[in-house]
Amino acid sequence: MKSIERNQIYTRAMAFHIPINSQQQSASKWLLFLGLILSAYMITLQPVMAHGEKNLEPYVRMRTIQWYDVQWSKQKFNVNDEVIVTGKFHVAEDWPISVPKPDAAFLNISTPGPVLIRTERYLNGKPYMNSVALQPGGDYDFKVVLKGRLPGHYHIHPFFNLRDAGQVMGPGAWLDIAGNEADFTNNVQTINGEMINMETYGLGNGIFWHSFWALLGTAWLLWWVRRPLFIARYRMLQAGLENELVTPLDRNIGKVILVGVPVLVFAFYTMTVNKYPKAIPLQTSLDQILPLSAKVNAGVVDVETLRAEYRIPERAMKLSLKIKNGSDKPIQLGEFATGSVRFLNKAVPVPEQSNAESVVAAGGLSLDNPAPIQPGEQRTVLMTAGDALWESERLDGLINDADSRIGGLVFFFDPEGERYVSSITAAVIPKFN
Amino acid sequence: MSANPSTRTFRPYTGEKARIARAYDYLVLVLALFLFIGSFHLHFALTVGDWDFWVDWKDRQWWPAVTPIIGITFPAAVQAVLWTNFRLPLGATLCVACLSIGTWIARIFAYHYWNYFPINMVLPSTMLPSALVLDAVLMLSNSLTVTAIFGGSAFALLFYPSNWPIFGMFHVPVEAGNSQLTVADMFGFQYIRTGMPEYLRIIERGTLRTYGQVAAPLSAFFSALICTLMYTLWWHIGKWFATTRYLKRI
Repeated sequence: MKSIERNQIYTRAMAFHIPINSQQQSASKWLLFLGLILSAYMITLQPVMAHGEKNLEPYVRMRTIQWYDVQWSKQKFNVNDEVIVTGKFHVAEDWPISVPKPDAAFLNISTPGPVLIRTERYLNGKPYMNSVALQPGGDYDFKVVLKGRLPGHYHIHPFFNLRDAGQVMGPGAWLDIAGNEADFTNNVQTINGEMINMETYGLGNGIFWHSFWALLGTAWLLWWVRRPLFIARYRMLQAGLENELVTPLDRNIGKVILVGVPVLVFAFYTMTVNKYPKAIPLQTSLDQILPLSAKVNAGVVDVETLRAEYRIPERAMKLSLKIKNGSDKPIQLGEFATGSVRFLNKAVPVPEQSNAESVVAAGGLSLDNPAPIQPGEQRTVLMTAGDALWESERLDGLINDADSRIGGLVFFFDPEGERYVSSITAAVIPKFN
Repeated sequence: MSANPSTRTFRPYTGEKARIARAYDYLVLVLALFLFIGSFHLHFALTVGDWDFWVDWKDRQWWPAVTPIIGITFPAAVQAVLWTNFRLPLGATLCVACLSIGTWIARIFAYHYWNYFPINMVLPSTMLPSALVLDAVLMLSNSLTVTAIFGGSAFALLFYPSNWPIFGMFHVPVEAGNSQLTVADMFGFQYIRTGMPEYLRIIERGTLRTYGQVAAPLSAFFSALICTLMYTLWWHIGKWFATTRYLKRI
């Protein structure tokens, strides 16, 4: 009987044991498979180089800051060398209603940390250090002087931080900084004439004062920690031995702290005030810089947008434009720029504007009537800007925006290379087939 | 341990019991160190945040108001536990020391080595003088009310003067771009922060203009008033969260 029972138990155990083994094997296979996938994934990992330039809604990128002519003075340089980025931008007249007006905007540089430092910045030729109020419809040119700090290969953009709106990226460029990080210097002259090294200024002093107070704090902690702490003190407190837990010496030390620390604090404070009598509060003004005289919509070539259609299957924006040539020479439409994407008309020689890494659709622009518009002539033209860039640059997301209006700049050229720039804007009608 | 031993029958631990109790002390201290370095530092970074991160945020109006108000929270809560149950007047100093350790680690490794900012641009402030005085007031008064009013006020009022020796030199004026800046403002301009445009700084904003250019003392007294309330609130939060029921079972 016992033998039968033993057999039954053994059989039952085996019956349970075998499936468990099978499950373990199955799980092992899955884990091995997942491990292989993970390994393959890890091997093919690439560093991320984007800055979220396509992240902002298309209508914000197309109808706020309209960048053009962005140039870098050089793209390969050494630590301590200066590099200058210059360019122009038009602040769209058709500023989106959902984006706060640019009452405080900050021309910034997208970098992976301060691998460069910004030494100077100009707007319309005027140096400025703070944020600035921009005027919709205004034209501006800018210049930012940077200095190489950390060697490396970096993708850098000029961009605007717009208060309560986000970052509107300008065209980017790859910069190569060579040399030795340890060679970097950044000296600034104070108003008193003292030359200070910004990399180390105040560091030793800060460490000294932190160490000084840390020493006193540690002494106070050790004064108590050297004695039995939690269980022993809890028992004594429960036993009514409170007076033995804080001794007269402890109290005297407490009194010294109570008087001595504030005295020390105010003595050191007074010493510092006397040492830096000309200290001023942090500065926080908003710079006021007026726009340039009109560069876009300067009154020579007038453009009115009659209709805009986006053909989804063709990835093509078709704009019907009423153009009036007020110049004394025939003009041709050579370029349409929107959201840092440039559509070029192959039939018109467009002078190279930029060595920044513009996203260009060479030959992406075509007209139903390519003949030059004669002086004084008014013509309605169907302009087609077609390229997969609408999709890859995530500008076609416009059809999913709450504010599906397009904005951009059109560039006209006369035979002598003179350029006329106009801004256009229109509601976009999607065409799904 | 018996629940309530009387004074007459109380016998201190000796031998093995004493050694185990001491080992328990060290265990709790090490755990507390990591706990407060992590939690207080996180709390501080999420609330005081940029005012403590950047040298060009340490203004005379918001910085001396916000920092002590947030800084007194954990010290009050830990004092409530350590003083009420153990008569240990080191809660504030312990918390602030842990905060300092966490802050320095973050500034050196996260801000300097990871994000390339010079350490002098991200020097933390110190609240250790304030914490020492807060501990001393509690020990000498043995009173929540007195500590909240006088200790809390001292905690706030000492903050700005105790940090001026560290940051005063960053307020030396510099002429740049046809304007006057401080050295601290120059750091903000030169060392590029893509997510931190100048207009985001909340400095010298508001209507604290009644006393002209003496914004710092006014801010400090405002902070002192709020600190007395924050101290009381966080003392009770500390008492609410803490328990000694496990000690009673020993």
